[in-house]
Amino acid sequence: MTHQHDMRPIQKHPLNVRIFHYILLLSFLPLAATGLLLYFKPLSQAGMQLTYDIHIIAGVVMALDAVAFTLMAFDRVVLFVSRVFSFSSRDVKWFMVLGGYPQKFLLGKKVPVPPMNKYNSGQKLFGACVLIGGTILILSGLVLWLIPHAAPRDVVYFLGQAHLISGLVLTAFLPVHLFLAVYRFDDFKAMMVHGNVPYHDAAEYTPLWVEKEIVPVTANGEPATGK
Amino acid sequence: MSKKSYLFAEDSFFLSRRKFIAIGAAFAAALALPVGWFSSKLERRNEYIKARTEGLYKDDAIAKLRVSHANPAVEKYYKEFGGQPLGHLSHDLLHTHFVDRTKLS
Repeated sequence: MTHQHDMRPIQKHPLNVRIFHYILLLSFLPLAATGLLLYFKPLSQAGMQLTYDIHIIAGVVMALDAVAFTLMAFDRVVLFVSRVFSFSSRDVKWFMVLGGYPQKFLLGKKVPVPPMNKYNSGQKLFGACVLIGGTILILSGLVLWLIPHAAPRDVVYFLGQAHLISGLVLTAFLPVHLFLAVYRFDDFKAMMVHGNVPYHDAAEYTPLWVEKEIVPVTANGEPATGK
Repeated sequence: MSKKSYLFAEDSFFLSRRKFIAIGAAFAAALALPVGWFSSKLERRNEYIKARTEGLYKDDAIAKLRVSHANPAVEKYYKEFGGQPLGHLSHDLLHTHFVDRTKLS
């Protein structure tokens, strides 16, 4: 018996989100690497200076990316905030089995997982950390770079600590994010290439999203709002 | 690029207008609060220096003796011992001599 997958494409990540994500990726990776170098200081004076310069340039790119996306796609930002800060008993149940991933990887067992919306509970936690941590990193980074002499000394120290902790937390998330992103390959292709996931993938991992928010599109690409 | 590469998409209006505005406003407020906190800190960064300056001026204004040459002890010194201000003895006793000790080694 052959099993046919429903391959009809659902748009998951629109073009503006993908461009934002690409610039975020290209700026955050050097930021994380140079941030660790700046913290541990293993290089010579000239090497550390170059590291600092790269950190600043990548930081400015990330800040501009975030500001531009917030201004130009405010609706996406609001939807993202709404999603990552929504919480229900499903999230508790999801965290109790950790999305079924450890059982799948370590024991080769499939356990029942509560139905998820566009993002699962782990992605929501990560999203909230990126949103809050990213904002802290950008704002504190600007102060530490531009006006450490003018700001009060205790505030500069506090912002330095906040910058360090946020940076370490987000850097710690990075390998987990990269691994799971590649593991969910349909979603990976959607974010990195064309924006679409096949219907069967969305129905398996994000059934609530398909059920509640997905509608067929009309010929010109607009959602046919029929609710 | 093709005009439409997908058959399904998110319904743009799945969030009600009221909820959209509430979340948007909460997001803007969450950004504005730390910025406001920091700018007020920045604005008030020299307040303790200003307060100290003000205190010193206040002490000065209420002081009995406001100039050193009206100090009775100084007057007594010149009258009974030092002679004239900037005189020879006062110069010898009160002026500091500089010795260059930068090349001791």
